[in-house]
Amino acid sequence: MKVVGITSQQEVYVATKDRNFRINEFLIIEDSYQGDLIGEVVEANAYNKYIPMNLHGELADSAVLESLRAIGYDIEEDTIYIAKVRLLNEALYPVEAGSDVRIPAFHEVRDLMVRCSPEEGLVLGVIRNTDHMAETMDEEYKNLLYTFEDGRLERQKEIPYIFNIKTMHQYPHIGIFGGSGSGKSFGLRVILEELMNLNIPTVVLDPHYEMDFSQTADYLPGEERLDYAGKFKCLQVGTHVGVKFEDLSVQDLKNLLDASGALTDAMNNVVDILYKKRDSYTSFFNRLKMLAEAQEEGSVDKIRRRIEESKTDLERQGWQERLELYLNYDKSCPYSSVRGIIWRLNRLSNEGIFSKDIREIENGLHNGKLIVVQGSTRILQVFSTYLINNLYHKRREYKDAQYRNEASDYFPPFVVVTDEAHNFAPKAFECPSKAILKEISQEGRKYGVFLILATQRPTLLDETITAQLNTKFIFRTVRSSDIATIKEETDITMEEARRLPYLRTGDVFISESALGRTIFARIRAAHTSSPHTENPFDELKGKFEENENKFMDLIRDKLPINGDDFLNVIREIEKEAGITYTLDTFEEKLEDMVEKGFLIKKKTPFFNVYDEK
Amino acid sequence: MFSLNEELRGEIKHINDTLLNKYREVLSMDKKLLRKFINNYIGKIKKLEKMTTRELKKYVELGGILGVDGSKNRLGGAYPHFIEIYQGLARSTLHKDKPVFKTKIYTPLQLEESSNMLEDSREEKMRSDKNLADIEVEAALEGIRSFNPYAVIMDGSIIRYDIASKEKWMELKSECEERGIILVGVTKDIKTCIIGQKLKEEKIISIGHKFHDRELLYGTLDYGEAIFIDIETKKELAGIESTFLRSSLSPTVIAVDILESQKAHLEEMVRLIFTLTPKNGRGVPLWIDIVDSEVKIPDNMIRSLLESYLDRRLLEMLFISERDKRTI
Repeated sequence: MKVVGITSQQEVYVATKDRNFRINEFLIIEDSYQGDLIGEVVEANAYNKYIPMNLHGELADSAVLESLRAIGYDIEEDTIYIAKVRLLNEALYPVEAGSDVRIPAFHEVRDLMVRCSPEEGLVLGVIRNTDHMAETMDEEYKNLLYTFEDGRLERQKEIPYIFNIKTMHQYPHIGIFGGSGSGKSFGLRVILEELMNLNIPTVVLDPHYEMDFSQTADYLPGEERLDYAGKFKCLQVGTHVGVKFEDLSVQDLKNLLDASGALTDAMNNVVDILYKKRDSYTSFFNRLKMLAEAQEEGSVDKIRRRIEESKTDLERQGWQERLELYLNYDKSCPYSSVRGIIWRLNRLSNEGIFSKDIREIENGLHNGKLIVVQGSTRILQVFSTYLINNLYHKRREYKDAQYRNEASDYFPPFVVVTDEAHNFAPKAFECPSKAILKEISQEGRKYGVFLILATQRPTLLDETITAQLNTKFIFRTVRSSDIATIKEETDITMEEARRLPYLRTGDVFISESALGRTIFARIRAAHTSSPHTENPFDELKGKFEENENKFMDLIRDKLPINGDDFLNVIREIEKEAGITYTLDTFEEKLEDMVEKGFLIKKKTPFFNVYDEK
Repeated sequence: MFSLNEELRGEIKHINDTLLNKYREVLSMDKKLLRKFINNYIGKIKKLEKMTTRELKKYVELGGILGVDGSKNRLGGAYPHFIEIYQGLARSTLHKDKPVFKTKIYTPLQLEESSNMLEDSREEKMRSDKNLADIEVEAALEGIRSFNPYAVIMDGSIIRYDIASKEKWMELKSECEERGIILVGVTKDIKTCIIGQKLKEEKIISIGHKFHDRELLYGTLDYGEAIFIDIETKKELAGIESTFLRSSLSPTVIAVDILESQKAHLEEMVRLIFTLTPKNGRGVPLWIDIVDSEVKIPDNMIRSLLESYLDRRLLEMLFISERDKRTI
């Protein structure tokens, strides 16, 4: 391998007759003046001058090539391989043309490739096209993981990609971009597994109900499977966790109500006026309800009459209170808005949000667990606002108190993870969760709170936040607007951007500010599998088969069934299995079984006979 | 647009008329008649089959095929201010990584005696031909000595070597004959008049001019047909047998020459060359094209070589013609 052509301080061309180049391969250029220079292949070409791509020129036909081979000359051996190599660090002078080029040994590139030990970092996958160097790799980096290659599980052959989580202190936050089916959710799963391995407190917002780690992947060899059962907890909003009403600020409350159904200005006003600090759900709800009832009466006189007509003290007292509310608030709180708030509050309450709190999440974080919060996007948006605000400020208070040398309860640093991040921090419009995510993106680093945001539409993600994502995992992306955003926000090159639409599932460009360059990697095989991996069409087929088998089991001992005997058979089945068929559906089912080949139908002059095949 | 010179246009038309007039006979000649004449008076037209892979494989055991070609680059202006670089290459199909290169540089300025200016272009041309032929024969000699091939295919008629480089040619010829190495030449541009001459002599078809073989054979042979010449020709006097072959779908024919002493191998060699020629190509065996492209040096590379290794003042003074500096 030699440097050929015109060189510069940044880029050179390398040519050889012996081997083909691979993109993202590392090479060492032995410049006689400047010493060894390390470069990465950014473009690879092969060329044979005897087989030109010329529409008008003559093309050596295969018969002649074959004949030449027969007399000992293989034209393909005259292929020249050319690579465009970009130096990792700019050289002082243009590279000497004619310099020898060789493949580096592992120790020469170790600092470029791995920045921490597998125990201390996130072992996320392998760096592509590094198998030549991996041969001389230290033992501690070998056999850490498996990858999927063309659907087959393979042992690690390349240098592992280990994300040094400690660099997040200087270069916080991770973005994961990629279209659907690009391996994005899968990559996120692997990152979360690694966070669990390191016992890092993590909150995952999971609108898809897919971040469940209880299923161990069955493709891995038994002794290498990892069980995450004790390391994570799935909590559903309303069922396991909720909001403590007393802790809500007016704004939190308004956000919650807004998520339940959009608030008008008048409704906002009603909340501002009627909500008192330290209100419980009941006290607030009662206040609203009594005001509404008073307004339904319609006038002060009518309410007074109610007071007079009251039969018990309790009732009188109640109407007295209503009167007070009416006098104070009727002018400023229109009846329709009050009803609107009641309706929304009811809906939230029915979802169970106010009956639970977030203590379980806090406990989990204290124990270094991964907490998966599940719920619909709408509810999660609001709940996460409340939750993250709460957690972030607890952590912040602790750190601030520590700084001021005051005593305070310990709260651990943690990571906030979400898929579909553009729903939580959209670019164009305001959304309750955006403010807190923005705050964390800008100053979370100081308090040890970090974001991992995955989205298939980086273009729709708030720009301030995108700018703060110091590490970006970029999977296959097809939309040109998203590619443009990615190009703007990362240091990937033109050549790499051009490859984005064609990346294989699970292949990823990792752009790390800490490294100052982009790595081409492949995500490892996960230890756990997503609950959504069953193909819906397989599921349908399975379901049908299950039904068929069930039905066959029911009727097997009753075969053959005569056409005039359905009624008795149906009655027997009802008695045995408690399943009722009508005559029509029973016959339909039998016909169906005949069609699918489980039964045969014999025609007799009087009726059909169904029998086993 | 360029305004076209009316006179020039007239001249071209005139040439066209003259040529049409001269070649009317050839253009209107009956193909069947001509083929019959060739069969009767020149030599048999024979349809050839391509060699099978098994036949070809035999050549690997027998030592492979050596391809020989030469190239010439010229830099500078009129005599004596120019420099010529000759390169010869012999390449065996078996030893692809060991090409035999021979080079020679010539400039009239090197010579001691100041030759008179009118010691004319004809002599220069002969000297140039000799240099090129010499270098090719030298390459071929070294090639057969180091690789001991079954056959040598030279680019161009081998009579050229007999004329231009007599001594070295005789050395090559006798060595080939002694060692039983078959020596053939492949000519793309045939310049002979064998058929035309005969036509004129026999007066079978009445024609006024002596036409070149290239003209008469254009489109006359079918793909894969060859004429094995029986009659006495000029080449034969020099001890060379030759054959015309239409080796591709292109209507032009090529000539294959062989030493008379090796005449027995003629058909075999013609078939080999036919087999190695792309069907849709120009008619040249691919192996010769490959050797040819390898031996050629791009002009700008010659120039940069001279610029690096010749004293800059000398180069400018002697070899850079005004024409080279022209930019429009």
